[in-house]
Formats: sequence, C-alpha cells, structure tokens
Amino acid sequence: MGDLSIQDLVVEYSSGGYAVRPLDGFNLDVAAGSLVILLGPSGCGKTTLLSCLGGILKPTSGAIKFGEVDVTSLDAKALSEYRRETVGIVFQAFNLVPSLTALENVMVPLRSAGISRHAAREKAEQLLARVGLEDRTTHRPGDLSGGQQQRVAVARAIALDPPLIVADEPTAHLDFIQVEEVLRLIRELATGDRMVVVATHDSRILPLADRVVELVPDFAESNRPPATARLEAGEVLFEEGTMGDCIYVVSEGEVEIMRELAGGGEELLWVAEPGDYFGELGPLFHMPRSATARARSDATVIGYTVAAFRERLGAGGIRDLIQHRPLDMGDEPATAEPD
Amino acid sequence: MLLAAMRDMQWRKRRFVIAVLSTAIIFAMTLVLTGLANGFRAEAQRTVDALGVDVFLVKDGASGPFVGATPFAPTDLGRIAASPGVQAAAPLVYAGGTVTLGDATRNADLFGAPERGPGMPVLSQGRPPANPDEAAVSSTLDRNEGEDIQIASRRLRIVGIVENSTALANLPNIFLTTQGAQQLVYGGQPLVASIGIQGTLDQVPPGYKAIDRDGAVADLLRPLKVAVNSITIVAILLWVVAALIVGSVIYLSALERLRDFAVYKAIGVPTGSIAAGLALQAVVVALSAVVVGVVLSALLGPIFPMQVIVPGYAYVILPVIAVVFGLIASGTGLHRAVSVDPAMAFGGP
Repeated sequence: MGDLSIQDLVVEYSSGGYAVRPLDGFNLDVAAGSLVILLGPSGCGKTTLLSCLGGILKPTSGAIKFGEVDVTSLDAKALSEYRRETVGIVFQAFNLVPSLTALENVMVPLRSAGISRHAAREKAEQLLARVGLEDRTTHRPGDLSGGQQQRVAVARAIALDPPLIVADEPTAHLDFIQVEEVLRLIRELATGDRMVVVATHDSRILPLADRVVELVPDFAESNRPPATARLEAGEVLFEEGTMGDCIYVVSEGEVEIMRELAGGGEELLWVAEPGDYFGELGPLFHMPRSATARARSDATVIGYTVAAFRERLGAGGIRDLIQHRPLDMGDEPATAEPD
Repeated sequence: MLLAAMRDMQWRKRRFVIAVLSTAIIFAMTLVLTGLANGFRAEAQRTVDALGVDVFLVKDGASGPFVGATPFAPTDLGRIAASPGVQAAAPLVYAGGTVTLGDATRNADLFGAPERGPGMPVLSQGRPPANPDEAAVSSTLDRNEGEDIQIASRRLRIVGIVENSTALANLPNIFLTTQGAQQLVYGGQPLVASIGIQGTLDQVPPGYKAIDRDGAVADLLRPLKVAVNSITIVAILLWVVAALIVGSVIYLSALERLRDFAVYKAIGVPTGSIAAGLALQAVVVALSAVVVGVVLSALLGPIFPMQVIVPGYAYVILPVIAVVFGLIASGTGLHRAVSVDPAMAFGGP
C-alpha cells in the first residue's frame, strides 16, 4: 500500500498529575514491505507507538502517514474502518475470544467486514491452513498451546489482507519452540508491499528485521573518573525525558529537582543540598530522566558514572542507592574538571 | 458479533441458565399475581353476568347494588316494571354471610332473587329455590342437592347447584328467594338492596340511580381494591427484581468480556455490532425466562386457593415488557462495553 512516515510524534498523558511523554518528537520513515522491530525496555513507548500506528491511540501531536492515509487526521468512524481494513494486530496475550473456536476467531474480522458467513468460513479455513492449524479449526483457545494461539491470532490479523501488521511482544509468552514457529510466520508476513512492525524487547528476533528502531538510545557504560561541574544559578544540569549516564552529588550550593505537570508548569520535588545525590535511577536502569535538575544557586556537583558510583559505594551500596537512602560518601574523590 | 454473543452464552451457560430460571420464577409469580387480580374481576364479572340483570336500580346515595347498597322498600317496583323498555324487574337482596357446613364455617355471598329471575342464575343441577327454606349453592361449596346448610340460625335445603359461582376472592355464592334472603338479612322486613331490571330504562325514576353491569362488577370488587392494589405493587416490585437480575447478569458478562470488546474494537468491529451482541444476550435471557415463566405459572396457578385467571393480553405483554426491561436494565453493561478503550487489548494477560 505504501511507506510509513512518522513525523515529530508526541504522546503525552497524565500519570498521578505529572506529564508523561512516552514518545516525544519521534520520527521514523520506513519503506513498504519492511519488517521493522521496535526495540526497547518496558515503558519506553513501544506499545504506545504501535497503538498510534494501529489507529487505537490518538497522539498529542505529530503526524503518521501510511501510504496516502494521514492516520492522525482520521475521525472515530474512519479510524474504525482503518483498523479493520488497513491494520492487522497481533497482541502480546494472543487475545483470542475464549468462547469462540479457532475458526470463529478468524471469522470475526471477516464477518464484521460484511463478508457472508459461508465465504468467511472458507477464508478462515484457508488462513488456518496457511498457519498450519487446519486440524485445529474447532478447538477453543484454551485447548491450544501458546504458539498455536498466537498462530490463530496471526491468521486473524491477516484475515482481511491488511497492508500493515503490528505485533506487540508476539513472543512474550512462548517457549523457544513456539517462538520459532511464530518468528517464521512473522517473517513470511513481511512480503510484497505488506509492512510488519514488531514491538519487542526480545533480542532473538533482531536477525529477522529489515530495520531495528531502538526507542531508548542506549549508551555504552563507561568507567571514567568522577567529573566536577560548576553551575550558575538557574542553569539546567539535565532535562526530564533525556538520557544520561551520570549520578550527581552536590558539593556546594543547591539544585532543584523539578517535574513537569500534566496541565503545564512544574512542581518542585525537592532541593538537593551539599552531600545529597540525585539522578541515580535513569543511568542505573537505562531509563530517561524522570525530572529536571536546575541550579537554585551557584552550585558545584560531581558527576559519577554508574560504575564509578558502584565502586565508591562498595557492597550493598546499590541497594541503598535504589532506595535513595543517605549514603556515607566518605572522602570526596579526586575529580577531573569538566571539558 | 451475534454469533459471538451466542457462543458466549454457551460458554457461560451455567450463569445464564441460573439467570433464566431466577427471572422465570419472578415472571411466573408476576403472571400468577396478575392472574389473581384478574381472577377477582373475572369471578365478579361472571357472577354479575349470571344474574341476567341489565340495570340495577339503587337508592340515590348508594354506591352499588351489592357492597355499597342502601336497603330500601321496593314500593316503586310495579311502576318501574311497567316502564317502557323494561322487560322484567325484580327485588334483589345481597349480603355477606357465613355458612356452617358440619363443623366448618365458611364465608359466603348471599343473593336473594325471585325464583324465575331476574337475578337468579342458570343452574347446572336441580332447580331454583322456590320458598324461603330452599337455596341453590355454588359447586365450589362441595355440597349436593338434598343436603342441608345452615346460615345464621336458619337451616336451608339445597335444591340446585350453580357451576363455579364465586365472588370476593373465591367465596361461594348462595342463592335464595328474595323472601328467604330478607328473612336472613333484614329480619323478615320487606327491604331490598336493588331492583334488577331486564331490558332498558329510558328514564331513571326520581330518588334512584341506575347502575350498569360494569358498575355492579366494580361494586362487588370494592372490598378487594386494597388487595388488588397491593398485588399490583408487588407485581411491579417483581418486575424491578427481574430487571435487576437480567441487568446484573449482562453487566457481569460485560465486565468479564471487556478485554474481548477491546479486541473487537481494536480489530475494527463496529461499536454498534458489539452493543448489538450484548443486547441480544439480554433479549435471549428475557425471552427464555418468559417461556419458562409461562410454564411455571401454569404449574403454580392451581396451588393457590383462589382463582388464578391469567388474561390473554398478559402473555402478549409479558415478552414485550421483559425485552424492554431487559434492555433498559442492561444499559449499564452496554455502556461499559461500547465505551471500552481498544488500547486495553494491548499489554499482558
């Protein structure tokens, strides 16, 4: 049908009163017929992106174009039509309807597209045969293995021959034998003009991909020595949503830790004073910063890489770090001046 | 989606069967109560019709020829009988009383009328009473011709049987001559409760009021009005309970199937189809309950010591009301289903 173009996509929602942006200015261009893998840890926005591609979630801003269709400008009725005719979805939890047989599950999208019962039945039988389940048509999902259920889900997703297939963690609940069956199937789907977008954190899938998109840019863990940074009052050390590899300890002055609110504005979470440390969870778990750090007065902070911080804390220190307990930092180490 | 709805009902058949049975019992009780209320009216209508009187003349101020009657001396009887349009006129007596049958005593309705009417019903056995010591009784009294019954201090001989003649919640009717009834009710004074007329009365004589059969039926039903109203209230409450059962079952079904609905929406099934599937479940539960309820009511009716006569219209109205109530009660579940966020389909199990 066409290429996929995502421009400056932002998805923002409120969580506990704070603004959360799983996707912030995301861009992607993919040619038709590709198998794209969205890679990243939980919470990095993979499923959010799939939901936007599938016409299930309306982004806060930005544009998604699939072929000639501007997905972000469709109204509710057109979106329902888009989901039915353009997108096939394979869910992490298979999501087959437990009361329906494998055949009837595959018939659901066919019937909702107005295809007659007889024709839908024939087509569903062909699809199940295509995924190797011709002898399981009358089985209910509960009587099928995880791999078989996922194959039924794939058959359902391709029932109306959509040009775009999105798959959310399709191997999450499968053992390695079942993974093999499903992977082969997913690879086969990305043929001709059909595009397949798979969200996963399962690196076993990577060799299948025509394109791998890392939603959270990783950084190599380094073990450089601690570095001192001098901040003027009002200067931002790091911003919420960005990646970083340093944990900071305040030597002099004060640093405000701020979080963006859902309705606009910021909330002061706390003020780090000399001896306090902040910014530890992002580098530790390779997650974006969850708050912004800004100097309240002229301040001096020492930036530690995770490895350097670990080294300094010794055994058991990481546990205290995660729980943000006061740490015995001992003597200040010799630091390098910032570049 | 209709197939999916039916499959879901098969899948959760125990719950739906329980819901159908519970609702059916309530529908059956509703039908029985409706039958009871209608039974009161039907027996009153039958009794009044059996008297063969077209117009009851009562004294001004009286509210009816039976319960609401004011006794009066029938001094104008001859003049009224000679009025144009009047084929026959007779002095009628009515009172409630008790009849002693061996060791048992039962309430009964006492009617007094001339042997050849108007006011004397057609008998299924025997002949009408011809003198003050004779009576014709309802077959529901379980007495035969030639037996005696005692009313107050008088012993009467049964000379005729009237088939299934009852009033005021299955009380047996007992028919005497006018004089016989006057001896029992008015201590032998020549008073009457009404003048029964066959034919038409062009002009009501001054000081009298004409009451037609419908008015007479309403008068005979007056003591039961509170009971009928109470039955109606209970029937309405039962409807509410039935609606709650159907509604809660559909709501539970909707809650448990939210993920299914989210998947349906995510794969592009129109919201209307999803709602139609759930509505179909409500309709199937309601109609199945109606069918079972009708059968149950037929079994329950004879158990009651009163006449349960379910009117024909109740069988037509019941499924209509059941479906409407079922759909209204399922509104919450329907709303829950159609408002589900398709994004819910994503994520783990």
